[in-house]
Amino acid sequence: MIAAHVPNLARSALPAGAALPGSGPARHAAPFLRFDGVTIRLGGREILSPTSFDVARGEFVCIVGPSGCGKTTLLRAASGLVTASAGEVRRNGVKMLEPSREVAFVFQDYGRALLPWRTVEGNVSLALEAGGVPAAERAPRIADVLAKVGLAKHAHKFPVQLSGGMQQRAQIARCLAQKPELMMMDEPFGALDALTRQSLQDELARLVREDGLTVLFVTHDLEEAIYLGDRVIALQANPGPGRPSLARMIDVKIPRPRDQLTTKEHPDYLRLRRELFAFIEHGHD
Amino acid sequence: MTENRLVRGLRPWVFPALLIGAFEWYARRAAALGSDALAPPSAAARAFAGAALDGSLWQATGFTLGTAALGLLLGAVLGIALGLVLGLSRRAARLGSVTIEVLRPVPSVALIPLAMLGFGFGVRMELAIVAFATFWPLLVLVQAAVQQVEPRLLEVSRVLGLSARERAFKIVLPAIVPRLFVALRLGVAVALVVAVTVEIAANPNGMGYAMMIAQQSFDPALMLAWLGWIGVVGFAINAAMLGLQRGVSRRMGAAP
Amino acid sequence: MNGHAERRGLERLGALGVLLALVALWWVASNAGWVSRVFLPTPQATFASLLEGLNLSGEGGGELLAFTGATVGRMVQGWLLASLAGVLLGAAIGVSPVVRAWVQPTLEFVRPLPASALLPLAISIFGLNPGMVLFVVAFGAMWPVLLATVHGFAAVEPRLAEVARCLQMSRAAYVWKMGLPNAMPDILAGMRLALTIALIVAVVGEMIASQSGLGQAILLAARAFRASELFAGIVLLGLIGFASNALLALAERRLLRWQQP
Repeated sequence: MIAAHVPNLARSALPAGAALPGSGPARHAAPFLRFDGVTIRLGGREILSPTSFDVARGEFVCIVGPSGCGKTTLLRAASGLVTASAGEVRRNGVKMLEPSREVAFVFQDYGRALLPWRTVEGNVSLALEAGGVPAAERAPRIADVLAKVGLAKHAHKFPVQLSGGMQQRAQIARCLAQKPELMMMDEPFGALDALTRQSLQDELARLVREDGLTVLFVTHDLEEAIYLGDRVIALQANPGPGRPSLARMIDVKIPRPRDQLTTKEHPDYLRLRRELFAFIEHGHD
Repeated sequence: MTENRLVRGLRPWVFPALLIGAFEWYARRAAALGSDALAPPSAAARAFAGAALDGSLWQATGFTLGTAALGLLLGAVLGIALGLVLGLSRRAARLGSVTIEVLRPVPSVALIPLAMLGFGFGVRMELAIVAFATFWPLLVLVQAAVQQVEPRLLEVSRVLGLSARERAFKIVLPAIVPRLFVALRLGVAVALVVAVTVEIAANPNGMGYAMMIAQQSFDPALMLAWLGWIGVVGFAINAAMLGLQRGVSRRMGAAP
Repeated sequence: MNGHAERRGLERLGALGVLLALVALWWVASNAGWVSRVFLPTPQATFASLLEGLNLSGEGGGELLAFTGATVGRMVQGWLLASLAGVLLGAAIGVSPVVRAWVQPTLEFVRPLPASALLPLAISIFGLNPGMVLFVVAFGAMWPVLLATVHGFAAVEPRLAEVARCLQMSRAAYVWKMGLPNAMPDILAGMRLALTIALIVAVVGEMIASQSGLGQAILLAARAFRASELFAGIVLLGLIGFASNALLALAERRLLRWQQP
């Protein structure tokens, strides 16, 4: 069960710069992913105040917060697309300064992240080509990953022929083909309609469970965050000098597999939901 | 930082300066070896000054620009008028489509001998060819602009009960002004290019002809001066039109 | 739907009818002498010249066929050279923002220059021969392709550039798998423009350098007041323009079919 990997964390607001210990009885080794005082300044403004937390292997961490709180920037810093102005991100103890094939990134604007001139197959193949997989091996791996996301029948279509949900699934397929250790997802379902979003949430949960992926998932949808995550991190925008961007961290101990109907009526779900909504509504702690 | 702005202001000139410098060095060497095919840019500059002082520069430039303008006027008026008609009436557009598809691909230079036959040499012949060359892009672009007027605006005109004439003048024409200026900018570019081309090919007037005569008189310095001047004139006029087009677009609220 | 297809067919016929009406007008104007036959030959005379020139009337002649071949040959050769050079140079320039920053202003200066304006310079250097015309055709037609390629490479969707970074794609892989396909619509549009320019410069080059081809043929026909031959030549040039453009548009549609939903 994934919950067993969740470290024992304090739930209250944290003073600036304080690192969360990757505590717990069996954890003496360095955590899989460590954010240590990550600060990001852009154009003279501090987008993200020093933020620190750990992520264990196999955890599904959701990051929420109002616009301008720096959640997308945090994700991009973690994947090496943006360099932190201060502090560092370490994966397996190694500093992450440049993007790496082992860290997959799912963009929100899926239409712009797919190569329009390649078919679904071709787009997935791109990840394998970049990874140096020999041509003969590619076809079965592509077929495999397309079957996983349910796009096997649409392998030969071009992105322009696919619906939004299918395009996003194609992007996820490409990311899975990288066989990543870590998957970053930047509001991946934000541009989709509610029904598509729900089915993709469940598909994602299944894929993550099957492959044992570690996921950092940014979303503005609080319910989605609770539904999908093992832990929800809430950031606040413009915390003020000396105060952290990271305002709240909540464990989600709801059992898996989760389900759109029953989980959303689970007392823990409702409690967390109320807690998180109240917190966001009242701004800072 | 002023230092940055200075660098950025000078940067476009570095590469051309290097090219001109290299050309100067090469042409001087070639001249020393007895070749009279090229002249160094410094000699061309002197020839340019000479032509400017004795008036031949202005006369030829005036001819080319004036004839191009007249040809553009004719071509644009006809092209815009027909473009409006074909854009407003889908039936007219479809009826005219085959004729347009047949006549448009004829390269304007192919009509030079015909214009020579009909008009002799001079303004009329060049004007006619420029008019033909500018007619088509303006027709096509204005027709497209009219057909792409925001359909919502046309629905509004129907709801308000505007007559066809009112619709054309109060809704369609103002709506297409930004794209009309894009078409005019293209028309100006085409007019200039075609005018110079006609002068090179046949018409013994204007900048193109002056350049040809310079080459035929084995005066490479003057020829290069004309080549450079044609480039400068073309660039300046296109830049001015781009500025105009962007200014109009901004005022009319459309994306530039 | 049957009714829809029927209506489209009727409209096509109507459009053809308009064209035929214009031809009829031409017929009347020339045969009745409204416009002197020195300037406006009759359609039948034009047609006869065409048949004879293309060696289709069985009475010998056939020079027009040779001239057409020469002009088309010049146009296509020059265009192919221009496209290759334009894409290679354009890719080299477009792929590096630094090079672009230094070189782009110069490119923008050359853009409005008429390609034919280089003919006197080329004559000066190379003399009056077919190679000179081919050089100017190729050089003139290269610029639209080069400029389009630079633009296509410069305008890669930033999200795709990030995907390339995430996948740790090599520079070469990035250029080949992202830059080039991304630039393809621009490149093809540039190549279409280049074809038009190639035809124009080929014709003008033939006219002033007295090279065998349709350009020279129609100039000589005009000078000799042989209007029907002149018109036949114009018809052929129009056909060349039409066919080359149509073929390229077809190729473009095939290559860019990923754009159509």
